[in-house]
Formats: sequence, C-alpha cells, structure tokens
Amino acid sequence: MAAEVEETLKRIQSHKGVIGIIVVNSEGIPIKTTLDNSTTVQYASLIHSLTSKARSIVRDIDPTNDLKFLRIRSKKNEIMCAPDKEFLLIVIQQDDQS
Amino acid sequence: MADRRAEIARKKAQIEQLRKERKEKEIAKKEGPVKVVSQSSPSGTSSDPDALFRDLGISITEPSAQQTINASVTSSPSSGEVASLPVTLASSKRRNIQLSVVKVNETNIPPKENVAYSKETQTINPEPIEKDGRRKRSHSHGSFGSPKFVHPHMEWDDEFNDDMDEDDDTDSLDVSADGSHMHQMAHRMPRVEMVAPAGAEEEKKEEEPPQVRELSEEEKKQIMMSEEYQLSVTRAARVMQRLLAVNDTGLTIDYSGADNEGKDDDALAGERLKLQFEFFDERWSRRRTITSMDWSPQYPELLLASYNANEDAPNDPDGVALIWNLKYKNMSPEYIFHCQSSVMSTCFAQFHPNLVIGGTYSGRIVLWDNRVNKRTPVQRTPLSASSHTHPVYCVNVVGTQNAHNLISVSTDGKLCSWSLDMLSQPQDSMELQAKQNKPVAATCFSFLSGDTNNFIVGSEECTIYSASRHGSKAGINDIFDGHQGPITSIDTHKVPGQIDFSPYFLTSSFDWTIKLWSIKQPYYIHSFEDNNDYVYDVRWSPVHPALFASVDGEGRLDLWNLNSETEVPTASVLVDGRPALNQCRWHQTGHHISVGDNNGRIHIYDVGEHIANPRTDEWSNFVHTQQELKQHAAEREEDSNLAGTGAPLR
Repeated sequence: MAAEVEETLKRIQSHKGVIGIIVVNSEGIPIKTTLDNSTTVQYASLIHSLTSKARSIVRDIDPTNDLKFLRIRSKKNEIMCAPDKEFLLIVIQQDDQS
Repeated sequence: MADRRAEIARKKAQIEQLRKERKEKEIAKKEGPVKVVSQSSPSGTSSDPDALFRDLGISITEPSAQQTINASVTSSPSSGEVASLPVTLASSKRRNIQLSVVKVNETNIPPKENVAYSKETQTINPEPIEKDGRRKRSHSHGSFGSPKFVHPHMEWDDEFNDDMDEDDDTDSLDVSADGSHMHQMAHRMPRVEMVAPAGAEEEKKEEEPPQVRELSEEEKKQIMMSEEYQLSVTRAARVMQRLLAVNDTGLTIDYSGADNEGKDDDALAGERLKLQFEFFDERWSRRRTITSMDWSPQYPELLLASYNANEDAPNDPDGVALIWNLKYKNMSPEYIFHCQSSVMSTCFAQFHPNLVIGGTYSGRIVLWDNRVNKRTPVQRTPLSASSHTHPVYCVNVVGTQNAHNLISVSTDGKLCSWSLDMLSQPQDSMELQAKQNKPVAATCFSFLSGDTNNFIVGSEECTIYSASRHGSKAGINDIFDGHQGPITSIDTHKVPGQIDFSPYFLTSSFDWTIKLWSIKQPYYIHSFEDNNDYVYDVRWSPVHPALFASVDGEGRLDLWNLNSETEVPTASVLVDGRPALNQCRWHQTGHHISVGDNNGRIHIYDVGEHIANPRTDEWSNFVHTQQELKQHAAEREEDSNLAGTGAPLR
C-alpha cells in the first residue's frame, strides 16, 4: 500500500514538466518532498496558508461546500494544490509552452 | 551755625566709627568670646550710637529696618523648617499620584472567551458612550451580569479608556494621546470589532510567521505509514494526475498566428479513423492480452479492460482489470484491480456505478468495488458444483434497475444467473446442451435487444445457438450452422430507431469471416470475407444502424457501412506494430472505438463524424440492403441445395 503511494508520486514526478512534489500535513509541516529543504519549507508554509484561506472562503460562501483543488498559474510555472482531509499535495509544474 | 555744622560732621564721623567698631565686634564675636571681652571697654564710651542720634534730634529708620531683617533672619531656622515641610510633603504627594497613575495605565488582556451576545448588546447600549464616561461606567459595573451585558470584553475595554481627565494626572499622557483619542472615537461608534468571532484570534495566530517544526525522520515515516496518509495522498494524487494529463496548451494559445495548423486539422477531419490515445501501463498491462473491455454506462469516459496473465511475472497476480479514463491521456489507470486467476471477461455492473464484475479462468466470478481502498475482490463466487467450474468467457448484466441479474456462461455450457447482493450461490442455473446432450462450449453470448430471456450463444464447435433462460423452451432452441471455425464473438443489433433490427446479429470466427444472421433464418444472410486472419471481434455501432467494426489477428481494424459497401470495409486501419487485435468496443456516443491487442495495449480510435453519425435515411436504406442480401442468400441456399445432397461448404 505504501509502495503504491510511492509509485503514484513517482509517476507524477516523471510527468513532463513537473519540477517537484511536496506533501504537507494539516499543520503545514512538509512530510515528503522532492525539493531541497529551504524551498520546501517556503512552499509548504506559503501554500498551506493560502490553501487554508481559500478553503475558508469556499466554506464561508457555502458551509456545505469544500475546496477541491487550487491551481495557481504564473508566468513561469504552475502550482497545483490538491487538499485532502489531512494532507495537502503540492505539485509544481514548469510552464514549458508560453 | 558753623559750630553746629562742625558738630554734626564730627558726630557723623563718630557714628561711622562706632558702626565700624560694631561690625568688628560682631566679627570678633564669631571668632571667639575672648576677643569680645577685650574689646568691650572701648565700646563702653559711646555704646549706643542711636543715643547720639537722638541727641541730635535725627530719627534713624535704617537700623530698625536692619533689625527687622535680622529678626526675620534669626527666626529663619525654625520657620524655615516649617516652610520646607510643606514642600517635602507636596513632593511626596506627587509621588503618590504617580503611583496611582501607573495603576490607571494597567492594560487589559481581553479574556479568551466565546462571544455569546444578544443583538441588544451591540445596538442598545449607549451607556459607555457618554462623555463623563467614568460615572456612567461605574453604573454599568452595577449592571454587569445583567442580560444586557453578557460580554465581559466590553466592560474591560470601556474601563481602559479612563483618560478623559487628563488635567488630573498628566502622566496619563504616557498612554499616548493618539491612542486615547482613538479610544474616544471608538466610544462613540458601535463596537463592531468586538463582534468578531473567537476564531479570528486563532487565525491571527496562524498568520504569524509559523514556527516550522521539523519532524524527525521517524515521525515522518510513521505518518507515511498511516492509513490516513495513504488514503489522502492516493486521492489527491489521482486528481493531480488527471490535471497533469489534461492537455491545456490551448489555454494560452494565440490564434492570430496559428492558421497553418488549422489547415492541417481540416485535413485530419477528413480521416475516417484516427488514433487518439493509447492506454498502457508498464507494470500492469505489459505482456498481458486484453481479454475483454467495457465502457461505463454511468461515466462515459471510463473504460474497463481485463487482462490475461503475464507469464513473465509469476509473482504478480494472474488476473488484472484496469479502469482507464478517456479524458486524460498518458495517465495511469484510475483503478487497478486484480485477482488470483486470469480475468477472461469483465463488465461494469450496469446499475451499480461502483461495482466491477470479472469472470475468471478458474470459473469464479469476482466483484470489485472502487469505494473500497483495496485492489482485491470484495466478493467472489465459490468453486462448487452449483456454479462454474470451467472458464467464464462471458458475463453480462441484464434486466432493469429494479430487476437485474448477472448472467455468466462457462465453457462447459453452464449458464448461471446471479444476484449481485449474493454471490455465494447462483439464483438460477442451467446446462446449455445441444443435440445428444452434448454441452455447448460457449465462448460468447449476446442478449437480443430489449430482451432478458432470449439470447444467442457462440461456441467452440463452430455452431451458433439461440437459447432462452425461462419458459417452456428454456435452453437451446435453434441452431445456426455456417462457420467453419470457433466463434469468437457475437453481437446483436441494438440501435434504436423507427425500424426494429433486433433479430439481426453478427458473428466473427477463426475461419477469417464475419457473418450476418437473422434469428428468423437458419442460414446466414451475408458473409464478409475480406480478412486474412482470425477475426476476433465484431461490434455494431451503438448509433448507426448499418455500421459495425471488426478486428482481426493481423492488426486490422475495419469499419463496415452496409449501406455503402458490403464486399470491402468502408474504412480500414492497420494498428502500429500489427499486434493481434483481440477486442473492440464502441464508445456509447459512437465516435470512439477502443481496440485491445495481445500486448496489453488499448488503442482508442476516433471515428470520423461523417461515418459515425447516421443520416435520417440510414434505417430505410438498411432495410433495402437487408432485402438485397437476403435475396442473394436465398438464391445461394437454393443453389447449394441443388448442387447436391452433401454440400460440405456453404
């Protein structure tokens, strides 16, 4: 089972354009990462707070609603956040065509 | 007069001398008492200078003034003490005031408490807003705890603003004048900020730069082994993969300079069959022949495929079923299921969107559930005499939402119908037997359109049978001879329309042919003989009445439109690498065909719209085509009957 998760993450990492994957727990602490430490910590804390803010927005507008995905598209890359109950999966993707 | 003047001058001089002497005396007095005694005699002659003045009749005020000064000076030590006392007292008083001011400066930390207030608290409460807030507030203290003041915050905060009297204690300026003014302003306004929920405080805390607590490797490992982590990350990763797979290059496209590509697209639109995706997974598909496929009835983008065993990987499970998603190419399977025995046939449980059914080589029927986070079956039928003991090459769910059964047929001719709720034993079973009680080695079956009773079975012994599940004629009814090889596939006509074509069905066989039949005639209507290898599968289009697809062993996918051509396929494509194609299935829109090969690769082909979409006259045209073909067939039968009694080939 644990191997399956690893396998899946590896597959995502091997996807063209993917720079890094970070798994963050509910407190904003990185559990797993493919990036170096300082980048990971920076991304983890920033994205975590943004995601919780986004989630609270969604929930404030409609309490029965919930955040499913957050996608930040920038000039240089794209940050994709898939929040689940306890953990937050962050994938950073290079925007190769511009 | 002159005498008098002289006398005055003399006396003045005398007085001056006397004064000098007195001063000297005084100095001497301070120096020591001995000197005073010695000098007392000369002063005795004219001891009192005032007397001299009085003699002259001149009143002297100066000495008296001096006297008073002296008196005041002499009294100064005592009175000075008295005078200084109030000063010191005053200063000590000051200090006391300062202390009291410090008390006033006391800041308050609002207690953490859930705010529970009534609307009244916010709106009707002018008390602390008055200018002479202090007295009013003392009142409000009295009413503390009354229903109007449920919120202690307000009490505390009001007290904080006791700086209206800046004259009394100037030190209160230390609080900073601005702040006090702000507070005064706040007094006059409704206290909105206090309404903020208690949660706001926590949020503020979160916004503070979070103290990144490093987890130790072991802690991380522990989290990563937890069930929650795995479930969460699996789910999130699935979504992530889909998004990654979405080809969204079009989002930032600039159409102003992209006309050349547009032309290419037009050219491609004319193509009849165009490869769209390939579904392949290194681990689970490699070297596994695709045994069966099914599109999801609920989610049109999901394709279920079953795989045979991989002989190169004896440690992996033999049977695999994967669910692929048409929307996202280059993606790994949405779901991976496996079981111990090769899966020979599979289908979605039509009315249960979460269930997947597989018929295995061992004869067991397995049931997977995508709600359960495991890849092994949640249910399986037992291996017993009451159910299948031979490979199950065909399964299907027939019936309606409220009354449906899973039908499975094994190669020993046993047909079982199951309730999906109970797979421990079949609801019903029967032996399909041909003449002389010979069991039918069923390889495929297909129910007639809209019928849950009558179906057609293809067998290994080159014969096709029509059969019924219930009624007086339960079992094999009619026999259709014509093929010279085992039947690989049967498909009945299911396209709805104004004309019913449900009696027609197609069969494919190892004899390199595809044959069109009607259950009303014992001989075939037409034989399509364009293939040069085993034909493994044949399927009617779900939308076009005269269109069908077929795949063969040399990697050819053919589309036949009977209204335009019956001798050669309308469209034909050779799959790259020319693998043997084992299965094909139409997407329910009729615009895609999935083709499975013997290497475990699924190819999705797009069908050109001009081919896939039927025109309105296709149904009537197909009737004409059928009549023509039937006429030819009747003539052919007649000829063969005339040719001789023992016509070996038909």
